[in-house]
Amino acid sequence: MTDRFDVGAYWSNLTNAEKRLTMAMSVLVFGLVIALLTGALGASYFLFLFGLGGMYALLSLGLNSQWGFTGLINFSVAAFFGIGAYGAALMTGSNSPIAGGFNPIFGLAIGLVLAAIVAVAIGIPTLRLRADYLAIATLGLAEVLRLVLQNERQWTNGSAGIRGIPSFFDGWPLLGEFPQWMPGLEIAIVPGSPVILGTPFWRQLLNVTLLLGFLGAAFLILRRAQRSPWGRLQRTIRADEDLAKALGKNTYSYKMQAFVLGSLIMALAGVFYAHLNLFVNPGDLDPITTFYVWVAVILGGSGSNRGALLGGFVVVAIREGSRFANDISWLPLDAAPLRLLMIGLLIILVMRFRPQGILPPQRELIWPSAIGREAPSRPDRGVPQSNGGETDE
Amino acid sequence: MSVIEFAANGVVYSSIIVLGSIGLAIIYSIAGFANFAHGDTMTVGGYAAFVAFGAIGGLGATVLALPVGFFVALLVGIAVAAAVAIITEKIVYEPLDIGSIGLLITSIGVAFVYRALIQLGFGAGRNQFDIPAQRPIEELIAYGVRVTPHDLAIVISAVVLVVGVHVLLQYTDLGRKMRAMADNPDLARASGIRTHRIKLWSWVLGAGLAGAGGAFLGLYNALTPRVGFSVLLVIFAAVILGGIGSVYGAMLGGFLIGMVVEMTPLLSRVGIPIGVDYGPAVAFVIMVVVLLVRPTGIAGDGTAGGEGI
Repeated sequence: MTDRFDVGAYWSNLTNAEKRLTMAMSVLVFGLVIALLTGALGASYFLFLFGLGGMYALLSLGLNSQWGFTGLINFSVAAFFGIGAYGAALMTGSNSPIAGGFNPIFGLAIGLVLAAIVAVAIGIPTLRLRADYLAIATLGLAEVLRLVLQNERQWTNGSAGIRGIPSFFDGWPLLGEFPQWMPGLEIAIVPGSPVILGTPFWRQLLNVTLLLGFLGAAFLILRRAQRSPWGRLQRTIRADEDLAKALGKNTYSYKMQAFVLGSLIMALAGVFYAHLNLFVNPGDLDPITTFYVWVAVILGGSGSNRGALLGGFVVVAIREGSRFANDISWLPLDAAPLRLLMIGLLIILVMRFRPQGILPPQRELIWPSAIGREAPSRPDRGVPQSNGGETDE
Repeated sequence: MSVIEFAANGVVYSSIIVLGSIGLAIIYSIAGFANFAHGDTMTVGGYAAFVAFGAIGGLGATVLALPVGFFVALLVGIAVAAAVAIITEKIVYEPLDIGSIGLLITSIGVAFVYRALIQLGFGAGRNQFDIPAQRPIEELIAYGVRVTPHDLAIVISAVVLVVGVHVLLQYTDLGRKMRAMADNPDLARASGIRTHRIKLWSWVLGAGLAGAGGAFLGLYNALTPRVGFSVLLVIFAAVILGGIGSVYGAMLGGFLIGMVVEMTPLLSRVGIPIGVDYGPAVAFVIMVVVLLVRPTGIAGDGTAGGEGI
């Protein structure tokens, strides 16, 4: 009888992929802690990277609810990200040509409402299309939106972008002043190189808190939705849309719901980005952003929310890690093409060797309580529903 | 600028788009997926021609103000693009055991690898053929048309290539087999056609045409690592307008979309204030309308699959 809090049993319940991943993550976390304590990695920069990773994870969750669960090929991730970011920036930024100076909550609302409207407007013509047409049409949409943001200077400042975006909690009663009145801390674990935690650190800590709030909310909502009858129907549509239609379901309406839900989560990531980076410009809507998120989803495992979280952080590791290529002077390499090369190779290699991703969906498809604890057919070990298929180990 | 001048520019731009569209349509109908690496295949051909031209240089005589060496370089561009496509098919696409959507996603990875390698080799900046720019042809200015001899060379070369594709498809054994395979791959295999070999030839043909288009993009404006990707959406719009998988549809669609993109500034004369930057956006809008109203395109035969060359 396995118990939920029995570590040994939990461990033996994991698939081989999960075991290896857990071990790799432990090593990585240990390394990061060492780097932070010795001052090799600045604490506030680490939190910034963590925020960026979480932002990509959020985008991946959004795409996952469209592609991973419903099978909608959306190549306009960058567009919805941009709508969220510009929605927030135009409402709050100091050089916003439209409004500016509003409370970030207002920007959040505008970003989400705009994303929902655009998602419905895009969904109406495109969701009836065949899968590959949808891919082309959504990529086109993203390019059109980028062109508009770049050319309509009177509304968007064009390529100059929008500056002076406050951080999300500015003006809040207690949290607004939090980074200023928190004292600077000096932690000297390794003699000679103390770790200093000042105002930037506390500001990033607030950002990370906000992110964890967004991420947690999205994760829980998606998990709840995807384990419900609604989620089962979405997976049916992905597997065989004609079957879902034959069962009398209005698949168009369900696809629209999944499309809007995913787009809202992407816009949420955009809002977070505006307040993390404090500057947005049309370059943020470059198609490469879309494909970063695609890499995150297919690498993590299409349809797997845990995989999307993992993929988000891997992508940031690639994106930020390639910056160091410029520091290695004997390698005559430029960071931008190197990043592109790694993303491209990663897509090809994943599709070739592990198209189901690192963490394919398993436990997430069904409520644990739905499997009777005393069910007679229950195997002694392994996850009852879909572990049997792991033959590639 | 007069309407006729916009139209003349449109014909030149269309010639390039048509070359890209035919290749994309061939690969769509034979290899069976929307190849997102097609634009970057054009870039590969363009840079290969650029390097070849740098190596062989002028070669004495000139045709339409272009040294003969340019046409040799053009052939090199075609050959390199075709070779790169064959290598990609062999090491990337062929071992894959996934559906057309998986191939589509993989082709994005391929596109990034092409573009990244070009950018690593040549930098992100502009590269131009070392050929002096030409003044518009005097005789045509009288008619209000300003085209350079280079523009004329692009149009004539494209026409030659398009006619070549037509002859190949209609009058050669390979062409008949390709049409048979595009129509029904299973039936083609059952009747003894080595479909695998035909697929390789379709990559050669499609990528070769893309390579030529890339070289002309470089002559038309300049080469950058993104030059092919920037026309990819326009090419997709052209292929969808023509009816996905139909080569003759792609010729017509490429011509129409190329004209529309170049004539977009005319819209501001009828009260729609959008500049030339929005050319691709207009192409995209046309594409969505086509998908809504007639998803099989102009040359589509009514079956939603849009098969057949």
